[in-house]
Amino acid sequence: MSKVTLMWEKFIEEKVNEIRETVGDGKAIIALSGGVDSSTAAILAHKAIGDKLYAVFVNTGFLRKGEPEFVVKTFRDEFGLNLIYVDAQEKFFEALKGVTDPEEKRKIIGKTFIDVFEEVARKINADFLIQGTIAPDWIESQGKIKSHHNVGGLPERLNLKLIEPLRELYKDEVREVAKELGLPEKIYNRMPFPGPGLAVRVIGEVTPEKIAIVREANAIVEEEIEKAGLKPWQAFAVLLGVKTVGVQGDIRAYKETVAVRVVESLDGMTANAMDVPFEVLQRIAFRITSEIPQVGRVLYDITNKPPATIEFE
Amino acid sequence: MILIMDNHGQYVHRIWRTLRYLGIEAKIIPNTTPLEEIKAMKPKGIIFSGGPDLERTGNCKAILENYEDFNVPILGICLGHQLIAKHFGGKVGRGEKAEYSLVEIEILEENEIFKGLPKRLKVWESHMDEVKELPKEFELLAKSEFCLVEAMKHRELPIYGVQFHPEVAHTERGSDIYRNFAQLCGEL
Repeated sequence: MSKVTLMWEKFIEEKVNEIRETVGDGKAIIALSGGVDSSTAAILAHKAIGDKLYAVFVNTGFLRKGEPEFVVKTFRDEFGLNLIYVDAQEKFFEALKGVTDPEEKRKIIGKTFIDVFEEVARKINADFLIQGTIAPDWIESQGKIKSHHNVGGLPERLNLKLIEPLRELYKDEVREVAKELGLPEKIYNRMPFPGPGLAVRVIGEVTPEKIAIVREANAIVEEEIEKAGLKPWQAFAVLLGVKTVGVQGDIRAYKETVAVRVVESLDGMTANAMDVPFEVLQRIAFRITSEIPQVGRVLYDITNKPPATIEFE
Repeated sequence: MILIMDNHGQYVHRIWRTLRYLGIEAKIIPNTTPLEEIKAMKPKGIIFSGGPDLERTGNCKAILENYEDFNVPILGICLGHQLIAKHFGGKVGRGEKAEYSLVEIEILEENEIFKGLPKRLKVWESHMDEVKELPKEFELLAKSEFCLVEAMKHRELPIYGVQFHPEVAHTERGSDIYRNFAQLCGEL
């Protein structure tokens, strides 16, 4: 067995014991998104305290194509977690009406999320809140680069004690832990996805129509990148909210513009725009413009981080 | 143990991780920690992290002013590098061009800090300000196309500064630079 595997085995053992001792006879809740971090935290906690863990999955309306179904199937049916599914789509769209500023959007989504989660948490009457916070989350929030999606303020109001078992880790390390925990590859190799979801992949105001466009475009990008056998850190589409002119079947078109971003990174702290083969990019552009009638132009983002961030908002 | 003075930079925790992966004990502390407390920790080396603002570097300057009380190797990263230059009488100011992400540096003087590294190195940067004039007591170790002082060392003391970020995953051989520094500190 390699040294690294041993290191993660020890990490898991330590954290499982820590969670078990801390929670004792109490109850714990976790907001499960299906991403690598919260999935790993949930399985770690489930290993420690079993049915005393309640996993709450909120459908914000900003999730990727097929994601709600996938999360429910994996965690309820396959891992046997106490999973509570909440459909809050309308609430989120309502809260974001007319809001265009990126930080404002992130804050409103965070607050709405807390409201929804709080309602469920009160019913469960838990004592502990488990969060899959990882190092870059609190680093970027402290540096005021971006507000990260977490349940700020909730622990105090509900008198919940916070447990963050992954706090010192980076994404690549969380993946190692997830693998060691026996999570399926589809999860431990899952591309990072921001807490506010597709809402920050629509520049400016968020509407159900715009989300539907970016959801389709995003699925096409992910599919084509996977089909080409590429393994980037993230690959996604952004709806820029800028209309541009086209010519389609001899007729003038005036349609939406989509940006495609594919980056390579170890930990999300620094990233480079990926050298994706041109024919893959062309195939993405072809599919997006032919399968999504509202889109007339596709751009590829060639900027690194820094100076840009990975996401657009 | 190597102490990391937290100057509120994005990559402070990355420094800690890089050292941890090398098997070196490291601790991140607020840059406002009183000198007496820092002394009591008996560090074998001190790192000044990067950060957004020279005005928010806390006691980093005080450590340099009272260097003989510590007498251990010091490595300044980005803002930490500029702070060292400024303290020793060099000039710091807005660079002609900002440098973000990939930059190729040329190592002019290998010294202990760049031991075993190639002459040209692809590193990652994120800065607008830079060292415009090397302090008299320092020698130049590396430069790049747009930035004259990419790395420097005090002529007598083991005090180093680098403008780029060896702690991020994108910097080529970055962890070797920390390994060399740890060796200077007697931690490896």
